[in-house]
Amino acid sequence: MKFIVSSTYLLKQLQVLGGVINNSNTLPILDNFLFELDHDKLIISASDLETTMASTLDVESESEGSVAIPARLLLDTLKTFPEQPLTFVVEENNTVEISSNHGKYALAYADGNEFPKAVALEDPSKTVITGDILATAISKTIFAAGNDDLRPVMSGVFFQFSTEGLTFVATDAHKLVKYTREDVKASQVAEFIMPKKPLNLLKGILGGSEEDVTIEYNDSNAKFTFENSELICRLIDGKYPNYEAVIPKENPNKLAINRNQFLNSVRRVSIFSNKTTHQIRLKIAGAELNISAEDIDYSNKAEERLTCDYQGDDMQIGFNSRFLTEMLTNLSSDDVQLEMSMPNRAGILTPVDGLNEGEQVTMLVMPVMLNN
Amino acid sequence: MRDELPIRKIIHVDMDAFYASVEQLDNPELIGKPIAVGGGGKRGVISAASYEARKFGVKSAMAGNLAIKLCPELIFVNHHFERYTEISKQIRRIFYDYTDLVEPLSLDEAYLDVTENKKGNPSASLIAKEIRTRIFNEVGLTASAGISINKFIAKIASDYNKPNGQKTVNPEEVIPFLEALEIRKFYGIGKVTAEKMYQKGIFTGLDLKQKSLDYLEKNFGKSGHLYYYIVRGIHNSEVKPNRIRKSLAAERTFNENLSSEIFMLEKLDHIAEEVTKRLSKSNVAGKTVTLKIKYSDFTLQTRSKTLPYYIKDKNIILETAKDLLYQEKLNNSVRLLGISLSNLNTENKPKKEDDKSVSVQLKFEF
Repeated sequence: MKFIVSSTYLLKQLQVLGGVINNSNTLPILDNFLFELDHDKLIISASDLETTMASTLDVESESEGSVAIPARLLLDTLKTFPEQPLTFVVEENNTVEISSNHGKYALAYADGNEFPKAVALEDPSKTVITGDILATAISKTIFAAGNDDLRPVMSGVFFQFSTEGLTFVATDAHKLVKYTREDVKASQVAEFIMPKKPLNLLKGILGGSEEDVTIEYNDSNAKFTFENSELICRLIDGKYPNYEAVIPKENPNKLAINRNQFLNSVRRVSIFSNKTTHQIRLKIAGAELNISAEDIDYSNKAEERLTCDYQGDDMQIGFNSRFLTEMLTNLSSDDVQLEMSMPNRAGILTPVDGLNEGEQVTMLVMPVMLNN
Repeated sequence: MRDELPIRKIIHVDMDAFYASVEQLDNPELIGKPIAVGGGGKRGVISAASYEARKFGVKSAMAGNLAIKLCPELIFVNHHFERYTEISKQIRRIFYDYTDLVEPLSLDEAYLDVTENKKGNPSASLIAKEIRTRIFNEVGLTASAGISINKFIAKIASDYNKPNGQKTVNPEEVIPFLEALEIRKFYGIGKVTAEKMYQKGIFTGLDLKQKSLDYLEKNFGKSGHLYYYIVRGIHNSEVKPNRIRKSLAAERTFNENLSSEIFMLEKLDHIAEEVTKRLSKSNVAGKTVTLKIKYSDFTLQTRSKTLPYYIKDKNIILETAKDLLYQEKLNNSVRLLGISLSNLNTENKPKKEDDKSVSVQLKFEF
């Protein structure tokens, strides 16, 4: 087995694939990249058993073979090379020899057959989406997903596909984001929960990409195919909470405000909030929004007044400032609207402008009950 | 102050040698022996003495070394205040079975206003008897009681048949009782005042009664005013329950029975308004909302919901009450609706936390 490949081209692919590999693996073979050579096609794979990603590279070769090469060692070596052709030769003594312009490097390899095989999807459904739209959907939602091991379904992003459009939902029970694209449709109704790790990889790879991504899915796995790569992952098993039920239907109190102004005030005031609850208080009366925070333990206190556009009854509501900050940061509009009903019901944050045709973002945040 | 009030029925319950009795209860070896709680140290002062010890003249507030001279067999035991508090609470729970108007004076005595009581028993003497019996059966200690028309006389009366006895001073006996009473037994008259009274020739209630209001005020200041009325059986000090509020409610009986939830919503709004008013008046908030429904056939139903945080906001109370109303179909037409809030933030709250605002991050109800 022998092939010649450009060093930077290979490094670029390996760095993407390296994101799949866990820092510590129970299965030592997973510390390797799998190299599968079939003449001028080289397929490199990385896996953590849950997620497997493979990329196909064009190389110069006339041979075939399959070896697993230590990922860390290979990456560290490649990073140091300027652009140049590298020759990989699998030697008889269980080592791979890499020849560069500078010299030779031998790495011990494992038999490629030891590497776990990615599952093949049986009877999948298929939807095609532009890479950038998928990346946007992920980045709009993933920050709201939880980390609770007891509620694994909430640690992922819920994909809800239908002939009407695609919906992506994430929640940690305190905040919730629903991102809808009515301009992209699926051929049939499907729902599945994607774990965070492969989504973060996809977000990184697909941002700004105009290429199409083919998503294939069944009850247990999903496969994303794009350009020269494919990513197969196991889905999170379980039933996603009925998120629609927690979106308050009637919200008579509507606040419209400049997003940046609001965000900056929240950030400043929250510095003075209690260090564990991060609680800030919004007091809205007339066209004035009063944002205040207090840390009684240290006698720290802050208060800001903002002019806003408000329709509804005067009200007071408490929020965790970190949630508000995360949500406001994630939005990119000039103005936002915050709809509320009562101090113990979720507030609904939506962008007023800057959305594409068919794009919808709804963010929910549960309040902190003020008790004083 | 002199407005004619309906005659009240006040009971003063006083535990017999409380600390000492508790010690004997917990340590049966001590039963029947002269014991003193506290006062064991070099300069210790006795907090309480058992009746066996009192026979020798050992009294509370007596120095330990003096007591041992009076009663060489005297056994000194240490305080167990937690235990006294625990038993005191147990006793108070018995009181609350009869009335909410309980004014604890200390761990071992309390005033009860039983003019209107939960048992509907018109006889304060019988209630006192029942309470004492229950204390004995449930706690194992004896108590004495005084029953009369005001706190002052009830307190004096409880001393009459001590230990393990009670005395009732009926309304018609009040005046003769007070007239015959030794002046030093009057509430608020200690050694010094008694001495002063003696010098002015006042030895009994009758003597005191001969003096004019002016005279008493001139000689005894503000207290003179009190003495003047007290000896005439007038002492309107109410039984002030300083107990922690456990719940707060408002309810409404309708002129006509309501059969549809739709008509009840408006009523609930008013009731929630009232509850909110009372909450802000008492400055409390609660977690559990209970909806009380009394049907036209007088059957009673309660439905309650506990929220994860304290509420005092009218809208939230109303919403929760509405949820409870729609939770299940009504059995019949309704004559009364009530909303109560319990699990109040006054309960079991350590003092330190009082000023601290408690905030709760709410979650979606998945």
